Amino acid sequence: MNAQPQALALDDVRIAPAGRVVLTGASLSLAFGEVLVLAGRNGAGKTTLLRIATGLLAPDVGQVLLEGRPLAAHARREVARSLALVAQDSSVPFPFTVEEIVLLGRAPHLRGFGFESREDRRIAGACMERLGIGALAQRSILELSGGERQLAMIARALAQTPRILLLDEPVAHLDLAHRLALEELLRALAHEGKAVLLVSHDLAGAARVADRIALLAGGRIVACGAAREVLHADLMREVFGVDALLVETSEGPVVVPRRAG
Amino acid sequence: MSASLTAGRLVRVLATLALALIAALALGVAVGPAGLALADVWDALVGGAEPVVRDIVLRVRLPRVLLAAGVGASLATAGAAFQALLRNPLADPFILGVSGGAALGAIFVIALGASVGLGASAAPPAAFVGAIVAVLLLLAAAGPRGRLDATRLLLIGVVFNALASALIVFLASLAGLAEGSRIFLYLIGNLSDARPALAGWVGAFLALGLAGLLPLARALNALALGDDSAALLGFEPARVKLALLLTTSLLVGAAVAVAGLVGFVGLIVPHALRLLIGADHRLLLPASALGGACFLVLCDALARTALGGPELPVGAITALVGGPLFLVLLRRRDWALR
Amino acid sequence: MLALAALASAGEAPRRVVSLNPSLTAMALALGAREQLVGIDDFSARQEPSTAGLPRVGGLYDPSLEAVIALRPDLVMLVPSAEQRGFQDQLAALGIPRFVANPVSYDEVLGTLAAVGVRLGREREAEARVASLRAARARAEAASAGRERVRTLLVLQRDPLFVAGRGTFVDDMLRAAGAENLAAGLAGAWPRASREWLLAARPDLIIDSTDEPEPAPEFWARWPSLRARIVSLPAGAVTLPGPMLDRALTLLEAAVRGEPAPERGPQ
Repeated sequence: MNAQPQALALDDVRIAPAGRVVLTGASLSLAFGEVLVLAGRNGAGKTTLLRIATGLLAPDVGQVLLEGRPLAAHARREVARSLALVAQDSSVPFPFTVEEIVLLGRAPHLRGFGFESREDRRIAGACMERLGIGALAQRSILELSGGERQLAMIARALAQTPRILLLDEPVAHLDLAHRLALEELLRALAHEGKAVLLVSHDLAGAARVADRIALLAGGRIVACGAAREVLHADLMREVFGVDALLVETSEGPVVVPRRAG
Repeated sequence: MSASLTAGRLVRVLATLALALIAALALGVAVGPAGLALADVWDALVGGAEPVVRDIVLRVRLPRVLLAAGVGASLATAGAAFQALLRNPLADPFILGVSGGAALGAIFVIALGASVGLGASAAPPAAFVGAIVAVLLLLAAAGPRGRLDATRLLLIGVVFNALASALIVFLASLAGLAEGSRIFLYLIGNLSDARPALAGWVGAFLALGLAGLLPLARALNALALGDDSAALLGFEPARVKLALLLTTSLLVGAAVAVAGLVGFVGLIVPHALRLLIGADHRLLLPASALGGACFLVLCDALARTALGGPELPVGAITALVGGPLFLVLLRRRDWALR
Repeated sequence: MLALAALASAGEAPRRVVSLNPSLTAMALALGAREQLVGIDDFSARQEPSTAGLPRVGGLYDPSLEAVIALRPDLVMLVPSAEQRGFQDQLAALGIPRFVANPVSYDEVLGTLAAVGVRLGREREAEARVASLRAARARAEAASAGRERVRTLLVLQRDPLFVAGRGTFVDDMLRAAGAENLAAGLAGAWPRASREWLLAARPDLIIDSTDEPEPAPEFWARWPSLRARIVSLPAGAVTLPGPMLDRALTLLEAAVRGEPAPERGPQ
C-alpha cells in the first residue's frame, strides 16, 4: 500500500468543540487503490473525523492533506472535483427526479447557470446503471424508499468522478443483496485506483470489503491494519466494549459477538 | 415527472408560460366594471378610441394589470427562493418577518403620516425602508457570520412577525376611520393604488431580483441536499444563503410596499409549478415569476369585476382561490408519496 | 330608521353626558348643552375646538369603558357602529343610561337632532334648529327646481375610492342642491368604487372631500379624460351628519352651481 500515492491524510488532528474533546492526536491516511473502513462505537467521532477530512470542519490542531496539499489551500470546487462524500442524511425536501439528483454530481464541473452537456448526462446515466437504478431515473426522489434514495446519493457522488470517495454509513438502509452489491462496487472502485473511505458499524461487512480497518476510540485511531490484525478479541473489547470472536470462513474473517454475561 | 433540464426544455416551458401570461394580461385589460367593448379596448391600445375609454384602458387598467403582474412575479419568485433557503416546500415569502417590517413601515405612514404631512403615496417607500430594516435586524439576530441556519431564521421570523403585528395593531388603534379602512386593505393585500410609476419600480426590483437569483439557481438545487452536501459539490452555502436572503428581501419589500400583504401567491405558485415542471431551480425560478404574474393578474381581474362597481381587495381573492387550491395540491402530494 | 334605545327618564335632564361620536357631540354643542358634557371621544375633541378641556375617553373604535364609568355619566351618547355595539351592551349591563342613534338620511339627522334635544332637555333649541334645517332644504330645492341636473360624485376617500351613495344625507343634500348623484346606482350608503367605474360614469363635477395632502386638482388631473370640474371641500365639512347641515348645503349648492363657496374662496 505504501507505494501508492497518498489520497487523504489526517495528521495529529485535535478538535474540542465547546471544550469537549472529540478527537485528539488522530492520524489516518488513505491511499489510492484501497478501501479503508473506519469503525468505532456510536459517538466515537467518526462523522466529525469525516467532516474534518472533507474540510467542512477545521481542526483546532493538526492538518489535513488532500492529494499531498493542505486541504485549506484548495478552493471548494477543486475539493469537489477530487473528493465526494455520501452523507448519512439523504433527505431531500423537493421532488427532484433521480436523474436530476445524480446530475447534481456534475456541479463542480459546470459554471454559472450551466446546462449539463451530453457528456454530463452520459456520465450520470452510467452511474445510475452502475448502482442499478437506471429504471428510476425519471422517478421523484420523494417517492423512493430509503435504500433507493441512498443508492441515488451514491450515484450522485460517483457522477462527481472523484478520485476519493467517502461514505458515511452507506449501508444503513440497504437490504443484504444491495449491501453485497455495494461492497463489490467499492472493491471495483478501489481496483480502478480510487481511494475509498467507508464509515461503518458493520464489522462483518468491513472485514469483507476493507483492505484496512481503522478503529476509532477515545478520540484517536487505536488500531489500523488488515482485518485479521485489527479485529481480535482485546481490541473488540477496548473499542466496542463487547466480547467477540473473529472466525475464519471461506469467505474471509467474520466477527461473532458473544452474548454478555 | 418530466425529463431533466435542457436549454430546449427551459425555452419550451418558459415560452408556454409567457404565452399564458400574455393571455392573462390581455384578459386583464379587456375586463373591468366599465364593461367596455373589446373593439374599443383595442382601439385605445393602438392609440384610437375616445378619451374616457383611453383613460380607462391606458391609465387605469394597464398600470394596474402590469402592477399585478410585477407583484405576482416578485412574490412567487421570492416564495420559490425562500422555500429553497429554508429547505421547506411550505415556506412563504412572508415567513421571515421581512413583510412584517414592510407592513409596519407602510402602516406607520398611513396611520400617522397625515400628521407629518405625508400622504398615502409615501407608504410604498416607507414600506421598502421597513423591509430593509427588518432584513438587517434579521441578520443581526441570526448571529455574527452565522451559517443562516433554517430553523433559527424561522424562529426569528416568527418573533419578528409577531412584533410587527403588535405594533401594527397599536398604530391602527391610533388611526381614524378612513385610515383604519386603508390599513385593513393593506393587510389583506390590495392593488387599487396602481400608479404607473409604482409598476415601474416593482418591475425594476423584479429584474434586479431575477438577475441576482438566476445565477444562484444551481446552488439552490445543491442546497436541497443540505448545506454540507452543497459545500462538497463546490458551492459556498453561507455566501449563497446570504445573497439569497438579501435578493429575496428586495423582491418581497418592493411587492409588499406597493400592494400590501397579498397572501398565497408566494406559497402556492412555486408549489404547484414544482408538481408540474419539476424542482430544478434553473427552470422553477423564472417559471415562478411568469406563473406568479399570471396568477395575480387573473385574481385581480376577478377582484375588479366580481362585484360590478366596487372592488374586492385582491388578497381576498388570492386567499379564496389559493386556500382550497393549496389543500388540493397537498392532497395530490400525499397521493404521490403513498 | 332612527333607533332610540333608552327612553327619556322622567324628571330632570342629564347633567353628566359622555358623547362618543363627533356628530352627536356637535348636536349637543349646537343645542347649547356644553355644560352638560363631561367627556368625549378623541375624534370629537379634534372636530370641536369648543370641547377643549373635556376629558377624553378614547378613540372611535376603542373607547375605554373604565374611563367612561369613571366620569359617572348619567347619559352616554353613541352610534351603534360595529365598533361601539359591544360597548353599548357593556354599558347596558352596568345600567348606565344610553342615547343611541344612527342617522343616515337627511330626515333621520333631523329626527336625531330633535331626539337629542328632548333627551338633553333642550327641546326648544332643537325645534328651532330642525326648522331651519328643514327650511334650508326647501329653499335649496326651490332654487334648483327646473335646472339641469349636474352629474356629480362626492368623494370621501381617494384610495381606496369611497363615495357618498344612495339614501344618505349627502345624497339628499346633493339632490336638493341640483346635482344628480351618480353613485346612487351603487349598492350601499358609502360604497367603495373603482377608478374605472368613476371614469366610465363621466361625472361633470367631482366634489373632493378628502384630507389628502396632494391637492385635488393635481390628483384628478392624472386622468385627462376627466372633464369634471373639481371642487375641494375640507374633510368633514359636508360629510358629518351634524346640526349644521344647512351650512353644508350652502357649500354644496355653490359647488354644484360653480360659484365660489360662501365665506371661503373657491378651492
